[in-house]
Amino acid sequence: MGAIGSYVENIKDAVTTIFEGMAVTASHFVRKPYTVQYPDRTEVRVQDTLPFRYRGILEVDLEICTGCLACERACPIDCIVIAVEKDPATRGMIISQFDIDIAKCMFCGLCSEPCPTGSIHHTTEFEGADFSLESLIRRFVKEPIHAYKAKKGPETDPRLAPILSRGMHYLDQWAQPGGDKPAAGTEES
Amino acid sequence: MNTLRTEEMTLNMGPQHPSTHGVLRFIVRADGEVMREAVPDVGYLHRSIEKIAEKVGYHGFMPYTDRVDYVCAMFTNQGWGMACEKLAGIEVPRRGEYCRVIAAEFNRIASHLLSVGTMAMDIGAMTPFTHAIREREMINDLIEELCGARLTFNYMRIGGVGFDLPPGWREKALAYLDHFDPILEEYNALISYNKIYIERLANVGVIAADDAVNYNLVGPNLRACGVKWDIRKDIPYSVYPDFEFEVPIGSGQWGTLGDAMDRYMVRIREMAESSKILRQALKQLPPGSVLAKVPRNFKPPAGECQIRVESARGDMGWYVVSDGTAFPWRVHVRTGSFAAMGITQKLSRGLMIADLVTLIASLDVIAPEIDR
Amino acid sequence: MRTLVQTLLASGFFGRNTPYDLVAAIAVFVLSAAVFLGVAFPFAGIVSWVERRVWARIQSRVGPNRVGPNGFLQWLADGVKHVCKEDIVPTDADPVLFKMAPYLVVLAFVLPWAVMPFSSALILADLNVGILYMTAVTAITVVGVLMAGWASNDKWSLIGGIRSAAQIVSYEIPAGLSIFPVVLMTGTLSMQGIIRAQGWAPQHWFLFANPFTFVAANILFISALAEGNRTPFDLPEAESELVAGFATEYSGMRYLFFFMAEWGNLFIIGAIIATLFLGGWQFPRVSNNPVVMNVLELITFNVKVLFLVFVSMWVRGTLPRVRIDQLMTLCWKYFVPIAFANMIGTAIWVAIWPEGNPVAGYIMFAAGIVVAIVFIRRVVFYAKRSQMELYYYPTI
Repeated sequence: MGAIGSYVENIKDAVTTIFEGMAVTASHFVRKPYTVQYPDRTEVRVQDTLPFRYRGILEVDLEICTGCLACERACPIDCIVIAVEKDPATRGMIISQFDIDIAKCMFCGLCSEPCPTGSIHHTTEFEGADFSLESLIRRFVKEPIHAYKAKKGPETDPRLAPILSRGMHYLDQWAQPGGDKPAAGTEES
Repeated sequence: MNTLRTEEMTLNMGPQHPSTHGVLRFIVRADGEVMREAVPDVGYLHRSIEKIAEKVGYHGFMPYTDRVDYVCAMFTNQGWGMACEKLAGIEVPRRGEYCRVIAAEFNRIASHLLSVGTMAMDIGAMTPFTHAIREREMINDLIEELCGARLTFNYMRIGGVGFDLPPGWREKALAYLDHFDPILEEYNALISYNKIYIERLANVGVIAADDAVNYNLVGPNLRACGVKWDIRKDIPYSVYPDFEFEVPIGSGQWGTLGDAMDRYMVRIREMAESSKILRQALKQLPPGSVLAKVPRNFKPPAGECQIRVESARGDMGWYVVSDGTAFPWRVHVRTGSFAAMGITQKLSRGLMIADLVTLIASLDVIAPEIDR
Repeated sequence: MRTLVQTLLASGFFGRNTPYDLVAAIAVFVLSAAVFLGVAFPFAGIVSWVERRVWARIQSRVGPNRVGPNGFLQWLADGVKHVCKEDIVPTDADPVLFKMAPYLVVLAFVLPWAVMPFSSALILADLNVGILYMTAVTAITVVGVLMAGWASNDKWSLIGGIRSAAQIVSYEIPAGLSIFPVVLMTGTLSMQGIIRAQGWAPQHWFLFANPFTFVAANILFISALAEGNRTPFDLPEAESELVAGFATEYSGMRYLFFFMAEWGNLFIIGAIIATLFLGGWQFPRVSNNPVVMNVLELITFNVKVLFLVFVSMWVRGTLPRVRIDQLMTLCWKYFVPIAFANMIGTAIWVAIWPEGNPVAGYIMFAAGIVVAIVFIRRVVFYAKRSQMELYYYPTI
């Protein structure tokens, strides 16, 4: 191929490839945009479309918190602060402080993994913008509360049962270390 | 007699410049449009991640590894997990390894999509970028369903993975791959074979094979120079020996072997190969547990180990020294972007300013990975 | 114009002894201000919105759709925002040149409207050198851009300005050479004269008159894109290389001027092509009422121009940017020789068929339809293969 050949070839290449490229972009005029028009023009709230495992802002169900401090220990950045006291009267545990600094939290999920009851868990809520860092500290304990004590059998308290079942369902999503059976929600191959 | 006199000018490219992915800085000495030299200035994104590891312990460091390279966090996760497993002699369940490979290969596609997309944007075409990002979002949706996060996954644990595949996920993933393969073809028709694009990339930043080895280039950058070196094939880890896939290398079809176009096409072809691996992995997925029994208070015996993972940006090395306590004594990460930054100074001589942008994009440099 | 001034004088609105020239000057001032403020600037603004929407659809996005119905008022909001912003002049910049540059760019954008042939009667001045005037005044842009690049005292701006100068001056040549075939065939430089030489039907357009004019039209379109700093030739403001090129240091109103001129120039590009090659305002004579005919012609002209504007947006959404040396290669090694060959070819063609060859028009038009059908088949193929949801409405 001589100089003139490559000259013509260049022009031909340019024309045909641009032709193809224009066809691709033209085909997008009849395709639906992929954009999600967050926040107001979605069919359902975006929070409700997120998967169950979504790691949003942390939430604590104090009713089923055992006060075991597993989450505090697991947190790599120490954004969870829990204060537990022994109740001299009933010899149970009293949780007097349960703070999570959402400003520090990196949403890694390591705290909710070791929780025995699924009390501390991620929600699908992600809109955490606020005006000050102070207000991002979530103080879950309004007044000191008795820690939950795991029972031998199934939970009978009608107030606690639904909360606990939700917590246990949340825990099922995590791979149980050492478990022989695959975690719930697994399909068999 | 007056002669035409030219003057060198020093340009400061970055750290705030639209085409330096993140906070890179180049001190460019240019004579008009032609560069004399571009000196990379690294260290704008140093976060002492290696030091943090010495403070937070083995389990707690996993989310930090996401931040080493946030574009392909699965590989950093995997590298850390494998290093700890090797230290403590833990065997990962087979299903766990498969989950790791599936997540990692999806992440590789996502990472390469970002790379080729931003590359097209740096060349000046905006549309391929949004198309690539659209596909990446679909993959992120899948990964989000798998592990709950879109970018900083923290999916893997020492001894396996944090979550098993959710119900119906496998079908969704396979359906996505069916959608992805034609989209990749379409992407090629849109931009890869475009004459202007090829002209911009071909013969730019040519790296000779021995130079690439000497400068320690890894991953697609190395393979584009014609060196067939892929950790997945050459030092097999995880369950990669189970799968059949090609290792794409540069062909020099569009210009010189080892130019920006080769690096670009290697990434495009790697995406197709990842898609192949994913199909096999999703089909062969064995039953069983995904996480080995690892004590909460993880204390590996004293010793040191080195692990190599083929990340999206190439051979990623993890070096861990344990002194028997709950905290690693020393952790070091060896990343591909740092080496890639090293060679830019050599390659930049004689290029045009517009080519520097192409060069950075084609080396797929991710700023946090340079400094850690 | 003269009759208007005389009517004004006769009405006594300006008093008895007002000199004719003063009234004429005021009339010209008010009229041109009305045209520019009422037509050119809103057009530039609306085009910016349309372009963002078109571009968004190409990119699977939605685009601005919040301000006003479907985001139509976005351009107004952006304009108001820019006007309200502080006008920063860098300390080390040359203040006079820095402030003057945007006006020159806008000047190059408003002057061509004087010879814009909207319809058979609607034209401000049917100069006998209309098309020459058009190409001449649009080239003033280069002075403004170069001035902006130099006066900003910023290296990125300087590179942008120099690039722009090299680019616009180079591409004047293929653009000029591509106008010659039409001038050869019509023997006039007047915009109206060129349009009158064509017919309303596609086969009578100069685009399909012979193969040479077809190539000339394409070269002219591409060169015009290069002169208007549009992708794939947006090197002067290449945002991934030069931050924002010559406009890096500008803010507020002055920044707005640059981009208004850029978007407004799209109309001028479209108008030049439509006039020279697409039959301008030509419309079949369906009525003897001149008002009806003029309205129809106005619509025809605008449809053609807006189609070309749309094509340039579409091109911008598809192609990457060329490098500066490739830009020059493309101009001097490809466009200039081909444009010369075209000119000679047309001259020979005109020598053989002085009145034009009617059969060639039909053949060329048929070939164009075949290409269009092939193109549509490719579009359908891509749309179907992607397995993405189809959505035919322009708005969302």
